[in-house]
Amino acid sequence: MHQWGRREDQRLTMGKGRFVADIEVPGCLDAVFVRSKTGHGTLRSVDCAPARAVPGVVGAWAAADLMDMPACAHSASVLQDLPPVPHSVLARLSSDEAVAGREWPALVKERVRYAGEAVAVVVGEDRYLAEDGAAEVTFEVEPLPAMVRPSDAARDSFPLFDGLSNVALTGEAGQPIDDSVWRDAAAVVEGRYRQSLLLPTPMECRAILVAPDADRLTVWAGHQAPHRLRRELAASLGWPEDRVRVVVPDTGGAFGSKSATFPEYVVVAYLAVKLRRPVRWIEDRLESMMVATRGRGQDQRVRLAADADGRLLAYELTIEADVGAYPHLGVGLPMQTAWMATGPYATPKVHATVRSVLTNTMVTYPYRGAGRPEAAIALERSMDTMARRLSMDPAELRRRNLIPPESFPYETPTGRRYDSGNYAGALELALRTVDYDGWRAEQARRGKDPGAMPLGIGLSCYVERSGGEPGGLFEFGGLEAGEDGSITARCGAASSGQGHETVFPALVARTLGVAQWRVRLIEGDTGEQPEGLGSFASRTAQVVGALLWHACQLLIDEARRRAARMWGVPVERVEWSDGTVRDAHDRSAVLDLSHLVKATGPLKVDDRFETGMAFPFGTHVAVAEVDPELGTVHLLRLVAVDDCGVVLDPEIVHGQAFGSCVQGIGQALYEGIPYGDDGVPLLGNGLLDYLLPTFSEVPPIEVRHTRTPSPGSPLGAKGAGESGCIGTPAAVVNAVIDALQVADPDLLQMPLTPDVVWRAARAPKRGEPR
Amino acid sequence: MKITLTVNGEEFPLDVEPRRVLADVLREDCRLTGTHLGCEHGVCGACGVLVDGEAVRSCLILAVQCDGSSVRTVEGLAGPDGEPSALQRAFSAEHALQCGFCTPGFLMVATGALEADPTLGDDPDRIEDLVRSNLCRCTGYEPIRRAITRAAQEARQLAP
Repeated sequence: MHQWGRREDQRLTMGKGRFVADIEVPGCLDAVFVRSKTGHGTLRSVDCAPARAVPGVVGAWAAADLMDMPACAHSASVLQDLPPVPHSVLARLSSDEAVAGREWPALVKERVRYAGEAVAVVVGEDRYLAEDGAAEVTFEVEPLPAMVRPSDAARDSFPLFDGLSNVALTGEAGQPIDDSVWRDAAAVVEGRYRQSLLLPTPMECRAILVAPDADRLTVWAGHQAPHRLRRELAASLGWPEDRVRVVVPDTGGAFGSKSATFPEYVVVAYLAVKLRRPVRWIEDRLESMMVATRGRGQDQRVRLAADADGRLLAYELTIEADVGAYPHLGVGLPMQTAWMATGPYATPKVHATVRSVLTNTMVTYPYRGAGRPEAAIALERSMDTMARRLSMDPAELRRRNLIPPESFPYETPTGRRYDSGNYAGALELALRTVDYDGWRAEQARRGKDPGAMPLGIGLSCYVERSGGEPGGLFEFGGLEAGEDGSITARCGAASSGQGHETVFPALVARTLGVAQWRVRLIEGDTGEQPEGLGSFASRTAQVVGALLWHACQLLIDEARRRAARMWGVPVERVEWSDGTVRDAHDRSAVLDLSHLVKATGPLKVDDRFETGMAFPFGTHVAVAEVDPELGTVHLLRLVAVDDCGVVLDPEIVHGQAFGSCVQGIGQALYEGIPYGDDGVPLLGNGLLDYLLPTFSEVPPIEVRHTRTPSPGSPLGAKGAGESGCIGTPAAVVNAVIDALQVADPDLLQMPLTPDVVWRAARAPKRGEPR
Repeated sequence: MKITLTVNGEEFPLDVEPRRVLADVLREDCRLTGTHLGCEHGVCGACGVLVDGEAVRSCLILAVQCDGSSVRTVEGLAGPDGEPSALQRAFSAEHALQCGFCTPGFLMVATGALEADPTLGDDPDRIEDLVRSNLCRCTGYEPIRRAITRAAQEARQLAP
């Protein structure tokens, strides 16, 4: 038998993975959505009749066809209308106030608010036939002025919802900073930064299959939070939760984008109930590029003040966030940026304000990093600007301001309580690893050589939050020991490529002292595990890992109690080691866990376990060479030093760190959704128009770790996996600015395409007249 | 239209609409779902298969164009005893997959190249070109490069 690197690898490399689109359910229909090409407009008419005449089409409906219907005869449904899209309640991502009066219909009723919003659905015997039908649906949308940029939309020149402001949420973190602070500071720098809208782009698009059976539904979905999906679909249908089972099979990446209940999911579940037949929706890529959730999307203004020695005095961050057409999923997400605005520095005064603005774009939602890249990029770009202003080395400026290790737990002015850290340790390791002094010498050498390409070095120190927000830092699960020696772990998580089936059985085996092959994991199935939160916010290793460690302690305690009863000895005398119980006073009394189960009956422990919020951190350094004639950026080196506390599986964490660095490079240099003034994304050529990094764009990357355990969890693990998206972009941008020495760094807005860089290379340099 | 595909050595007499792309016929008609569709417009390469030994994006070719051809998919990489190929083993050993959705495409394009030229391991540039041909959003590609290199070097040692 071959020894696999991860347990998942056997099926995934042999072509035996099971993704939603691979699941064969007899009689399953395919749903295809008819989508508006207009970004904002009034829906005048939809005619589905021609679609219904197409052979192989089972039905075609617009919202109007599904309104005020007589109650379905089927006992399972009392629905008279297509339910609306539910809103996120977790982590303050949305709120009742923000969505009040702003219904998100699962199919457009009266007004189209983003390009690609579905005006009709066609269901066919297969995908080809459903698409034939979709091509026959006609509809008319009368265009309205599109609100594409948040600054325009915020002026309420045209409201997306009649009678309501386009500003759907305002918020702040920290206290307003007195004018005198800015007036009296030795140095104040300002900046404006655009965080472009990004496409998370998991290689598998969204997918859902809903199969009704009597009065129950089984739902297969590539998803990060199966219990949330169950809860929200059941509520949409007006059903009790226990009649819906959500199963997450293999999931082809998520990066935050697969944790919600999307309009299409509501429609598919509704139709499966209505038709009493299995229905699936397998999103295709062009569809995904139009209507999958977007990440980032902020226009930021900053002010940073320091004294003459480079000690930071105050930092102010103003965020105008583009949250898309409906506030339902991520209107509160920009608050993550505000709460993390302090970054890793001991700045005494920090104030961040947020205005979440509705625009005619698809909804913004967590994408790997989810609010923390926006915080880190704004602050780290500003730090480099401050270093130039003070003529100070950017590493030295950071050194003077990093929160020292003895200050933890550290209460930030923006309301976070950092658990632990050695920020300077990560910075120094990064500088040594990259050979900072060596590159500075090379930079100086090139500065004297007119033929040499300019070279820059960019730093980015970051701190992020993992585990989730208060009220969401717990998880459910347990362990079951079998008579055959097997140990089954269950939890509410769901993997989308992070190797849970490998990491968690290894953790349980290590904690119990048994062989790994005895332990297996069941997750991503609400039928197997009744309660759960899921995998998002870098919480799984930290929270679920701690839960399973805790379950091991419960199992050991229960095994000792049973053995003590059986042997008639006090429990204190019973020891646990390597999967056995033994009497400390009687060397002959030794029993393996499986024999104990045989003798005393099934042994199952379940619990809920909570950890504190954790704050991973690190320093990334990029070295970039810029060709001023072509506007191209050539990354020569990237060093990522991350600290995610105690690492459960070094190879898996390394893979997460490396992969996320490449996504971070994507945000810095390549990725961004261009929108026309009419609110239509300019992505006509699909993935040829949205530049995901390929192997050609991957520089030599070195990932290193420092290790500062989290005191908020028994394992000491903090979240891993988002570090590259958070730490890398500013390092890359700072390196390019350092190479070009432009007087106005705001000219360099991400993505740093050749056009942007070429123009910046022609702008006045530092010290030149502007 | 009646066609015959030989997929992984097995003959499939099929009656398919001319408009059906090879990927859909492999997945739905032959029930070989190891071939994945990541973009359906020829960019990502997740749907890569070998048609008569040549790497092909199966979303861009019609099944009827492959009538009488021999098609190899990821399900056909294991040995007769079900043991994984050297490349499959290398992908696992190098952590060249995370979610695994793009993996079949990378495996097929690399298998085609390795079988066409067992000396591939001598030429890092050609291996890098192979890695450049497909998209992966999880790994950052470097582990995929290492995996193909590892399998190629193993093949080199076995070659006469």
